[in-house]
Amino acid sequence: MKKKTITITMLLIWICVSIYAQTPTAEDILKNVDAVVNAPKDQDLKVKLILTDKKGKEKTREMSMLQKGSDKRMVKFLSPADQKGIAFLSLPDDVMYLYLPAFKKIRRIASHVKNTKFAGTDFTYEDMEAVRYSDKYEPEFLRKEDSLFVLQLIPKEGLKTDYSKLIMWIREDNFYIVKIEHYNKGDKLFKIMTRDKIEKIDEYWIARESKMQDLKAKHTTKMIFEEVKFDSGFSDDKFTKRNLKK
Amino acid sequence: MKKCNLIIIVLIIPGFSLLYAEFGIDWSGYFQTDNRALIKGEHDFSWHEYRLDLQLEAYPSTNTHFYSEVWLRTIGNSNIQASSDLYDKEKITSTNLYFKEAYLDIYGLILKDLDVRIGRQRIAWGTADKLNPTDNLNPDDLEDMWDFGRHLGSDGLKATYYLGDYELSAVFIPKFTPAVLPAGDWAAALSPSFDLPEGIILRNYSDKIIMPENNLKENSVGGAKFSGNLFNYDFSLSYVYDRDDLPLINKASFTPIDTFGTVDISAEMVYPQMQVIGADFAGSLGDVGVWGESAIFFPEKIILSTDLSALGMGIQESIALDDEPYIKYVLGGDYTFTNGIYVNAQYLHGFIHERGDDNLEDYLMFGLEKKIFEDKVKIMPVNCGFEIKDFDNFKDNYAVIFSPEITYYPYDNIEIVFGAHIIDGKDSSTFGKMKDSDDIYFKAKVSF
Repeated sequence: MKKKTITITMLLIWICVSIYAQTPTAEDILKNVDAVVNAPKDQDLKVKLILTDKKGKEKTREMSMLQKGSDKRMVKFLSPADQKGIAFLSLPDDVMYLYLPAFKKIRRIASHVKNTKFAGTDFTYEDMEAVRYSDKYEPEFLRKEDSLFVLQLIPKEGLKTDYSKLIMWIREDNFYIVKIEHYNKGDKLFKIMTRDKIEKIDEYWIARESKMQDLKAKHTTKMIFEEVKFDSGFSDDKFTKRNLKK
Repeated sequence: MKKCNLIIIVLIIPGFSLLYAEFGIDWSGYFQTDNRALIKGEHDFSWHEYRLDLQLEAYPSTNTHFYSEVWLRTIGNSNIQASSDLYDKEKITSTNLYFKEAYLDIYGLILKDLDVRIGRQRIAWGTADKLNPTDNLNPDDLEDMWDFGRHLGSDGLKATYYLGDYELSAVFIPKFTPAVLPAGDWAAALSPSFDLPEGIILRNYSDKIIMPENNLKENSVGGAKFSGNLFNYDFSLSYVYDRDDLPLINKASFTPIDTFGTVDISAEMVYPQMQVIGADFAGSLGDVGVWGESAIFFPEKIILSTDLSALGMGIQESIALDDEPYIKYVLGGDYTFTNGIYVNAQYLHGFIHERGDDNLEDYLMFGLEKKIFEDKVKIMPVNCGFEIKDFDNFKDNYAVIFSPEITYYPYDNIEIVFGAHIIDGKDSSTFGKMKDSDDIYFKAKVSF
């Protein structure tokens, strides 16, 4: 009897260890997310934005987006006409610049602007930054839902953000984010981002469509990557103020 | 000539689509109407402008870029004096064509990190919002005093060398261009007062402007700017060798008309040379965006020679502009609250037309704006400025400018604007002189 109890106990310990070994830690999951999202050396994207108001009325914007690594991103508006030429540069250490062609000036974006809407979309300037989540958030493993990991991300001390927390759903098979719930300072859910049409191009995963939904305004912005190019070999010179106004 | 311009434009517009298809030339622009009427009296029209802006852009090769921007406008009223004028379309509805910019960029010329821009260009220096003491290379365009910060393009060459986060720009403009002055009452408001000797009554005033000699030394303008980032603040240091783009009287002759002291005055005006050393910064203080800009002006000394010999008083000389340096500066900040309200405030010492340490006034500007109804409406209910001519005698030397505005964006690329310019103050202040010119305005704009 005693021998049998020891055997069962050993078996249970083995099962627990196995389960533990199969479920990576929240930190590991988030590092994998960062690695997958920022896997390409660089990205050259042509983006279509569809803004839909609560009455279902749609507006369209087009922009080009270049990204190098995980912390340099350049966005330029191609349409509509009254926004054409507006360009946005995101650099490491929360440095962001905006070029307004009408004024022929590049303006440094102060932190208060980061949480405002980016050109009328439901994405904020902060959302448009190139980001490594593990550098900015403390993750906590909440649960596993079918084949998805669910993490809670709390901003690290000193991070300037309007989000009190993010709840993130991540595919188990490829560590790609499929959904993020954004909570405001009052800990109230106010924006949901979902990602669809996740596919592998070359050796990298990418969501062809992302949708940001503002729950209060009942307004959504769908971001569609119409053209995708990876590893074009951009130099750092692409991501400078010099290039922002070109 | 103007008709010819019109024909050219009419031919050019449909040709743009073809240019794009055949040569990759991109074109865009906007059409804007701007009508203003005085609030007081019979509500006279104070502004009437219909503007077609056309922008043409092309990348002839990987390292070159061409850009041009042209305004075709009708502005002001019909200039009809007699029935014969009715045969002249130009007098009935005058139009003008203005090349704002037309330049060629060459990227990586000779050196990989050297960019050169050649042609008519706007060189916008300074970090402040619209009122920039360091922005002196392009002449001021004061045609519309409510469009603060507008400048003419300058024909010249700009070379910029990039070294990491730092850049060094050098600008050469071969020929000096004067500022465009506002018409009507605004011109008087900006002009320094001309004190007549006691007992003298002015009948006619005429002047002539002495332009700088047409050579490299007298006519050319140049400047250099070094900019970079220190302690997370963007900064720049600049130097400009230029002429003041507003003319100054250096000679005045009094001619008596009668024995009662009535005179005609004929004056000569010059554009004084000046050197300007500037510095600016922009960054964040906590969550608040902050900027500052300062310029030290080193003007040429201008002596005003007043010829009163016809009145038996000889020739008198006084200092019209001293060569003592003076400083203009701006400090400002902005912030966006979590509810979307944006506020912007600036303190300015020395307005565009003011010269000399003793003549610089102080201005405080404040703006508040918020977008509502899913960003379809932008309201600027508190858009105001205060002019303080003399802190020691504030109540007799001030002006308050209030300019509320509402913009409606019914569709993409469409803007409809309603607003008002309301001024109160004392005649001793620049803006106070305009207190009877309050107006309301309506603008419509379509971008394409």
